[in-house]
This record gives sequence, structure tokens and C-alpha cells, in this order.
Amino acid sequence: MQVEFQQIHKQFGPVQALCGIDMRVESGTIHGLVGENGAGKSTLMKILTGYLTKTGGRILLDGVEVDCSDPQTAAAQGIGMLYQEPQDFPSLNVLDNFIVGRDSVAGLDRTAQRQRLGKLAERVHFSLHLSAVLEKLTIGERQQLEFLRLLGRDARVLILDEPTTGISDQQKALLFQALRQIRDEWRTIILVSHKLEEVEALCDRVTILRHGLVTGEAEAPFKVAELLSMMFDKPPSIERTEHDYQPGEEILRFSGVSANGERVGLSDCNVTINRGDIVGLAGLSGSGQGVFLRLAAGLLHARVGDLIFSGAALNRLGHREFREKGGVFLPSDRLHEGLIPGFTLRDHFALASGLSSAAAQQAAEQAIQRFHIRGTPETLAESLSGGNQQRLQLALIQANAQLVLLESPTRGLDVESGQKIWRYLRETFSGRGAIVFSSAELDEILAVANRVLVFFDGRVVRDLRADELDYEHIASAMTGK
Amino acid sequence: MYVSMRKLIQLATVAFATLVAGASLAADKGLTFGMLMVGPYNDHGWSQSHYEGGQYVEKKMPGSKMIYIDKVNPADRPGLTIPMVVDDLVEKGATVIVGNSDDMKDGMREAAQMHPDIKFIHISGDDVLTGKAPANLSNLMGRMVYGKMMSGYVAALSSKTGKIGYLGPLINEETRRLAVASYLGARYAWTEVLKKPLADLKFQVSWIGFWFNIPGVTADPTQVARNFFDTGYDVVLSGIDTVEATTVAEQMRKEGADVYSVPQDYIGSCETAPASCLGVPYYNWGPDYVKLFSAMQTGNWKPTWTWSGPDWTDINNPDSSAIGFVKGSALNAENAASLDQFIQGLGDGSISLFSGPLNLQDGSVYLKAGETASDKQIWYLEQLLEGMDGASK
Amino acid sequence: MRMQGLKRHLFEIGLILGMVVLFTTLLLSLVGASPLEAFSHLFAGSLGSWAKFSRVLNVWIPLTLCSIGLLYAFRTGLWNIGVEGQVVMGAIGATAVLRLGLEASHPLFYLLAALLMGMAFAALWALFAGWLKVRGGVHEIFAGLGLNFVAMGFVLWVIFGPWKRDGIASMSGTQPFPLELWFPSLPGWRVSPFALGLTLAIILLTAWVLYRSRIGLNLDAVGRNPRAVRLFGLSPSRYMLLAIMVSGALAGLAGGLQVTGIYHRLIPSISSGYGYLGLLVVMLANFRLAPVPFIALFFAALNVGSIQLPMMMQLDSSLAGVIQGACVLSALLVFGLRTLRKRGPSDE
Repeated sequence: MQVEFQQIHKQFGPVQALCGIDMRVESGTIHGLVGENGAGKSTLMKILTGYLTKTGGRILLDGVEVDCSDPQTAAAQGIGMLYQEPQDFPSLNVLDNFIVGRDSVAGLDRTAQRQRLGKLAERVHFSLHLSAVLEKLTIGERQQLEFLRLLGRDARVLILDEPTTGISDQQKALLFQALRQIRDEWRTIILVSHKLEEVEALCDRVTILRHGLVTGEAEAPFKVAELLSMMFDKPPSIERTEHDYQPGEEILRFSGVSANGERVGLSDCNVTINRGDIVGLAGLSGSGQGVFLRLAAGLLHARVGDLIFSGAALNRLGHREFREKGGVFLPSDRLHEGLIPGFTLRDHFALASGLSSAAAQQAAEQAIQRFHIRGTPETLAESLSGGNQQRLQLALIQANAQLVLLESPTRGLDVESGQKIWRYLRETFSGRGAIVFSSAELDEILAVANRVLVFFDGRVVRDLRADELDYEHIASAMTGK
Repeated sequence: MYVSMRKLIQLATVAFATLVAGASLAADKGLTFGMLMVGPYNDHGWSQSHYEGGQYVEKKMPGSKMIYIDKVNPADRPGLTIPMVVDDLVEKGATVIVGNSDDMKDGMREAAQMHPDIKFIHISGDDVLTGKAPANLSNLMGRMVYGKMMSGYVAALSSKTGKIGYLGPLINEETRRLAVASYLGARYAWTEVLKKPLADLKFQVSWIGFWFNIPGVTADPTQVARNFFDTGYDVVLSGIDTVEATTVAEQMRKEGADVYSVPQDYIGSCETAPASCLGVPYYNWGPDYVKLFSAMQTGNWKPTWTWSGPDWTDINNPDSSAIGFVKGSALNAENAASLDQFIQGLGDGSISLFSGPLNLQDGSVYLKAGETASDKQIWYLEQLLEGMDGASK
Repeated sequence: MRMQGLKRHLFEIGLILGMVVLFTTLLLSLVGASPLEAFSHLFAGSLGSWAKFSRVLNVWIPLTLCSIGLLYAFRTGLWNIGVEGQVVMGAIGATAVLRLGLEASHPLFYLLAALLMGMAFAALWALFAGWLKVRGGVHEIFAGLGLNFVAMGFVLWVIFGPWKRDGIASMSGTQPFPLELWFPSLPGWRVSPFALGLTLAIILLTAWVLYRSRIGLNLDAVGRNPRAVRLFGLSPSRYMLLAIMVSGALAGLAGGLQVTGIYHRLIPSISSGYGYLGLLVVMLANFRLAPVPFIALFFAALNVGSIQLPMMMQLDSSLAGVIQGACVLSALLVFGLRTLRKRGPSDE
């Protein structure tokens, strides 16, 4: 089935997420949809599957305009999506999951359904134990079941959202084989991914999105450099800070560290952070940067390997000791992970420093002045804007900090505020310690960092020093090339 | 400061005393008596027999008035203690308080000490015997041992399997005494009337843990009774305040099982189970209440320990007999006639069941041959008897 | 601003009471009883005299202690539903000490030691639920409920087993303690002034701890955002354990006072359901301290006054429970409305 998008618009409040997408996907092809996080890929797909309502434009299936305003209607048109997180019932077994949600009475004939599922699995060479409970299965196996469910429903348009995250190489090979097979049955497949190697291996055609716009299309075989330049913004024109990079003594060392968390975890990480480092953690979101930061902060524990902070093994330390030794961690989710909703600014200072109520009041007042926080000591944390929440977090950093870990420190902030924050951080901490930060904005990393670690799929794939920092190089490393 | 505080308290106390005095003065017209019942007043058992005894007093003593609180036990009324409810009854004008449960022993004594002007009657207690009772506390009990003997007697006559179950409440002197009396009645019928070997009579006592069912705390009497019937026991004697055994028997009889039950305490207990109820021994508290209350009104109160028996000329005379036995419609005519003879024998002394030789459950001698038990020996029975199954302690 | 807040509170309380009175009136009319008579009996039976009021205080003391204990646990976001079992364990601990002191010459020492032991027993019992939560990931509601059953079984076992009276095993509990081991009271008082003073002191102390002290701030932070609290260098699990232990200790104190001051022996239903009732009190107080003593007093008065209903009107005294339940439901409704109202205008 041919799918055509015409001038699709989507607005979230003041934010224009999609600004007129035109795209056509032909029957019997695997069509790649690539772009950075936030480019609009998921929004577009959710509009097709009826989970979001478009603010403008038309969707045509085989040249006929259709209404995909809710998931049931979309599914009835033969549109099915394979989500990154399996949408199943973990406590039920494979067969029950296959049957569940079928509305026909015939659908409840277990013997028939068992045979049907068996046949489908055989066709694409999946082997699943029909009586196994889903909780016991790997993500890859659950994905296979989901895939079979979609096939069983005669989905003629299959959307796959980052289907290879967290599954084994073998399962990946099986999946690709199955995708090619059903493409040859004249079904339409849309693959949402930011892993260019997969796109290269699988897709016949690819559409590139950036900031809610189509920035280009390409036919296989693809030129990777070309794709990258369409995915990411042009190399930044902002003048780069002069880095007189002189690594000092070691502050933090990861040796052979592997850990679980954030789906991909972190595998075999060997990194040393030195005094004077301003380390940017680059990578598509969820590639292991968060795990790295939380390991360094003593909030997660390594499965194997050693972490040394200020001469002490962090494996045995908690975050409390990390703080006492001069470490600090500012999470990106300020209100859920960093601050206490329901607490005033003053309460936060009392909590952070053990000050009496009066002294905390004073500290809060000083911080409000110094960091230009829009609020009073009595303002509740949740009624601050994102930028002010971040300033509050910065103001709460203890004075002796020598290792500052920041997760997306300028997320949601305007450019000016972001620059002010960086000026403060650099002035305050780069002299006496190190700063490690993650960011979704490559520009920010290039502008601020004097060293970059590039993450891909839970691994540090590049460790680049100031003089080697190069936009294309980082961008391609981020996509696994 | 301290002095003024003390003055304040004194003032408050005086004011309070006047208040209480006023309240009792106001109620001085007729006799008001308070009744504390451990179970519901309409339990078809122990508590209802007291409630109806109270109604009897209201009828016989003009101007008298009963105020009562039922379900006085910590499970039903958490946080409530006997002295508290007594305070309430006194405030409402009660000048004599009846407490109907052995469990109220400590509370009744405590309340009696707190209210020396009020008279207390503790049913089933022995504080007067043991000398623990203050001068305003008396004990009253009915000689239910006779009623239980009759129960055991009809049970053994009616049993085809020779297996009799006894649904016991908690274990104490009173409950042992009643279980033993039942056994003695059954044994007499089995060996002396039916002339069967004693070895063929099985008498099993199962204690549930309290006078009535408290879900989750006691054993469920319905289950215990059912279990008896399911394992070959064809007559169950109830020793608890409520009528689960009778209900179960009636139901099983309707389903075709050949089973009987004998409830206790309340005259009307058989009414709901015409097909399976062999009869019921019951208390008739009214006459003794009237006696004690009248003595109090005429200024002749003294602490007494009263153990009232049947009026042998007519054990069912409502104005004179403290213990009676109503034959159930399930009791056949032959056995009913046999029971009448048995009662007559008990009454004229020709049948004396608490007579030796009798051994306690552990084999030690309770009564030597030719010895007859004294009231105290019966009252303070320390074990079940040899030949009975079930826990003594 | 402040005045407005107070007005709103008063309005809400009025609304709750109005709903409860309406509901109860309907119910009473339905069974054909006079609501006015019932209310007047409830009132006279609880506040009509000093004797009555002192009895209300006897209920108020353990109820308030349980409720305040719950506040500590709620502060860290824990539902210490095990408070009922903690009262029982406190009573058992206190009884164990008093049994040692039966022949002793300095009863006051044993009385105080009994209370301390009761608190320690209950605190450890609560700690177990907390530990299951923090280390084992067992939700504290399930752990608490389970431990309540275990505590109930345990108290039955000691009463029917090792501590049973001579020759009698019964629901009426252990042998009463001699008069020397009763908490002393003033003439004309039905309530121990010591227990009363202790409870008042604990209310004041709690006000300071929860709203003025460092620990209180930390507990509050843990309850609001345990993840963020770690970033402030605090261990959420340690504060949760602390809170649930304090919670248990106060419940244990309530249990100890039940033994030493009210029943003078251990009985199976020694907790009198105050733990569960305390949960209602705290919910009705919207998890704040200030209203707790007053709501507890109201509930205690209902409990004590309700005995008049069967005595004077042949009504079942469970009406008190119905009123208490109706209070909480109405309160939840009113609080729910408040959050709805709040959310409404801020959306624009």
C-alpha cells in the first residue's frame, strides 16, 4: 500500500513540531525515516497511527485520503506499528498475547489461533514457545511476537521504531530477513532509526527530517556523509572558546566498567577524567551517557569493573560519599530527580547545607541575587520555570565541588541563559576540577567542551581531545559509523 | 498557683459529686437494675435467658426497670471495660448491677469497690466463696449440672453410634463441670438403662476457645459441629452460648442424616430445630433475681453465694425452678418417659451421679467408692473424668 | 491571605460535618429512630460529665499516639498500616516486663520500664515492615497487614499458652496485675494524668520535630521526592526506617498504656482497633498534625458516647463507626473538590 503525507503540520502549544511534511512511501519498499532526536520522526508516525491528531495536512493511502484520527480507525486501515517498548502483557503467555484484543468470536478458538501463530512464525523463521510467559522472554523475542501479531492482523503498512535497540545480533539478523521477506510480499515498511548502518543495510529509500522539516531524500545506495549533513545542523558558526587544554592529575577513572540501566546500559568503559577537563558526552539520547553520569555519581553500581574517584573506589561508595569528596550531579529531569516539589527555595538551602531556617533564608536570598532566579525564598520549586529550576540547582552546588556532572544542563533554556550558565560553570569549576556534561546539542558540546566522549549503543566509541574535535567525525560516530 | 489549682480541682469534684447525687436521687422511685450481658440479648442462649429473667423481674416487681447493655466483651466493644459501663448504668439510676459472664469477674469486683453503695450480682462467679468479694457483691449460679445430666441422658438414649460430641467453649471450672455432668448423664443411660458396655461409649469434648464464635479468634463452632457429625458422632451437646450445633444438626437432618443436638441455657432454643432437637436444659433466672432484689430493697442484703437448683416437684415451674428441661419434639415417647423417670430419680436422691468410684482423666481418684461429691468438689473440678476425650486444661 | 486560608478550612470542616450529619440523620430516620435523640445521647454520653469525659480521654490517648506515629511514617511517604499490630506488640512487650515486676518492691520502675519495652518491641516490629520495604521491595501495606495478622496470632498464643491464667485459657486475657502495677490516677479521675501529660508532651514535641527541626525537613523531603533526596546526600531508606520506627514506638506506647492504664492485663483485642481508627484520623486531618488531636477527640467521643445508643434507644452502637467512616468519605470528597478547584483556574 502506498502511503502519502501531504503538508502535515503539528503544533504543540507554541511549538511547531512538524512544519509541512511531504513524503511518499511506495508499496513493497522499506522506507527509512531518519533524523536527530526531536526532529519529528515519532510525531509523524504517531499521526499516522492515530495516537496524535494533526493540525493540518492530508494522509493518503493508495491515493485515497483517509481519516486516521484515532488508533482504531488507523488499525482498521491496515496500519500497524512496532514500538520501541513492547506493547504487550508481560504476565500472560505468548499465545494469550497473540489472541488478546481480537474482537471476533472465532478469535477465541485457541486451537485455531495456535495453529495460525505457528504458521506465521514458521513463515518468517521465528521460533517462540507458545506457552512461555512474556516476563521470561528477551526484548527481542517479545518484539518478534509483536511483529507476528501485526502480521496476523494483516497490517499492510508496518512502522518500526528503532527496532534494534536492546536486541541481540542474531535476533537483528532474523528481523531484517523477515522484513525483507514481507517487503517482497508487497507490504510497505517504514523504519524509524538513527542508526545509519541499519538504514544502509535495509532501506530502499530514506527521508531525512530535521526540526520538523524534510531536509532531503535519498535512494539506495546512500552516501553517509550526505545523509549526516542533512540530519544535523551545519557546523556551528559560534566562535569556539579557546581551549588551552592542559590535563591535570586524575580525578575520576572508569576501568573496564559495565553496568545496566537505560535499556542499553554501559559496556566495557575505560575513561580517565583529569583536572581541567570539560568533557562533553555526545551521542543520541539514551546511548549510555545517563548511565555513565550516574555511575560516576555513585547513584548506580557497576556490574563489573572499577571506578576510582579522588583515589577511592566508587563501587563501595554511595552518592553521599561522592558528595563529601567534592562531587556533584545535576540531573536533566530537575523537578523529578533534582529538586523537591512542595519545598520552597529556602527549604532547599536548609536541606542542602544543614542551615537553620534563618540562615537558609539568607542563603536563598543571596542565591536569588547572584543567579538571577525569578522567585522569592518562599517560592515553591515546581512553580519556577525550567531555567530558574536549573539556576536553583546550580546555586545549591556545594562550594568545595571539584567534579561537576551535568545532564543536559541547558535543556529547555534560551541561548542567553545557557551561555550565562556556562560562563558561571567554567569560571567556578574548570580551574579547580573537572566538568562532565551530556547534551543533545552537538553545537553546545563543540562550543564548550575541550574533550568529547562519543557514545553509541552503550559504548564509548570515541574519546576526542580538543584539537581533534570535528563536527562530521562526531556526528558519524554518534550514528554508529 | 499550686494552691489555687488544687482548689479548682476540689470545686470541680464537689460540683461533680452533686451532679451524680442528683442523678441517683431522680431515679429513686422504683428499682432500676442494670444488666451487663456478654452476648447479644437475643442470642437464643445464655444472654437471652438473663434478658428474659430481667423481664420477669419487671413483671413481678412493680415499678422496677431494667437497663441493659449487651455484647459486653472486648471483641465486640473494643475499649470498653466493666467499670466504665457500670459507671454508665449507675448514672442512669441503676442501684443493682448484674454481670452475666465469668469473664467479668475482675471488672465486677473493681466496679464494686468503686461503687460501695451499689449492689452487684456476678453470675457464675465465686468471689464470695474465695473471700475476694467486697460486701456489696454476691454470686448467683444455677445448678446446671442437673440440666446437663439430663442432656447427656437423652443424648445417650438417642445415639445409635454411641459417639457423643460436646461442643465446649473455653476451659475453666464451670465448663469442665458441665461437660462432666453431661458425661455422667450419658454414662448412666448407656450402662444402667441401655445396659451396653461402657467401652462402646465415646464422649469427645472439643473446645472452641470462647463462649461464642469470634471469627478469626475462636474455632468456628459451625465447623466443629459439622466435623462431629461427619465423623460418626450422631448427637452433639452444645456447651456454648449460641446455637450453631442445633442449626447444623437441623440442616443435616433435613439432608437425611440421622443426627441430633442438645442446646443449652435458653428455654426457647429448640424452637428453631423441631426435627433434631432432643431438648434443652435452661436457666430460669427470674425467681432468684426477684429474691435477691427484694432482699436488697428490704435492707436484708448480704453477700451470698447462691447455687440454685431445680424445683424437683416441677422443674419447669417458672416461679420456683432455677433449672428446667424442655423436651424437644425429636425426643421419642419411650425416651421421654425414660427421662421423666431419670428426673424423678435425681429429685428423690435415688440417682446420684457425682458419687464414687470416679477417676479423673489422668487416672487419679476423684471420688472413692461410696463417696459423694460436696458442692465445692463439683464446683472446683480440676479435670475431666476418665472415659472422656478432650483437653482438661 | 492567612485569614482566607483559615476561612477556607472552617468552610471545609463545616461542609464535612454538614454532610455527615445529613447522612446520619437520613440513616437514623430510615431505621425509624429519632436522630435528635441519638445525637443528644451521643453528646451527653461523651461530654456530659467529667467521668464521661475522662473516659473519652482514655480513648483519646492511644488514638492520638497512634495517629501521631502515623504522621511520621506518612511524612516519608510510607503507609504504616501495621500500626495495629505494633500496638499489640507494644502491649506484649509491656506485659512481659510487668510480669517480671509482679513481686517487686518498686512498681513505678517496672511501669516505666514496661512502657519503654513496649515501645522497643513495637519499634522493632515496625522496623521489620520497613526493612521488608527498603531491602526486599515488599510494599509496606502488604508487609504491615501481614505483620498485623502475625501479631494477632502471637498475642493469642501468649494468652492461651505461656501466660494463661491458672486453669483457665480464655479470651478474657491474662491474670490482672496487682493494684501496685496500675498506672496511678488521681481520686475521681478515670484517666491517668501521667498518660495524659505524656501524650500532650508528645504532641508538642512532634510539632517541633516535624515542622521546626532538621530531621523533620529531611523526612518531608524524603516523602516528597526520594530520588532527589539522594542528590542532597541523604539516604531515603535510612529516613524511612527511622520514621517507621518512631511510628511503631508511639503505637507501642499506646499498647503499653492500654495494658498499664486501662485493662491492667493483656487481652487479645488489646489494640481496640485504634491503629486502624488512627489511619482514619490522619486521613481526615489531611496528614497534618494540628487537626489530629481534635479529630481524635471527636472520634473518641463518638466511641464512648455510642454505648448510650444500645442502652437508651436499643440501637446498635456501630453507628459510631458509620459516622466515623462517613466523616472520612466526606473529607476525601471535600479535599478532592479542593484539588479540582485548584487545578481549574491554573490551567488557563
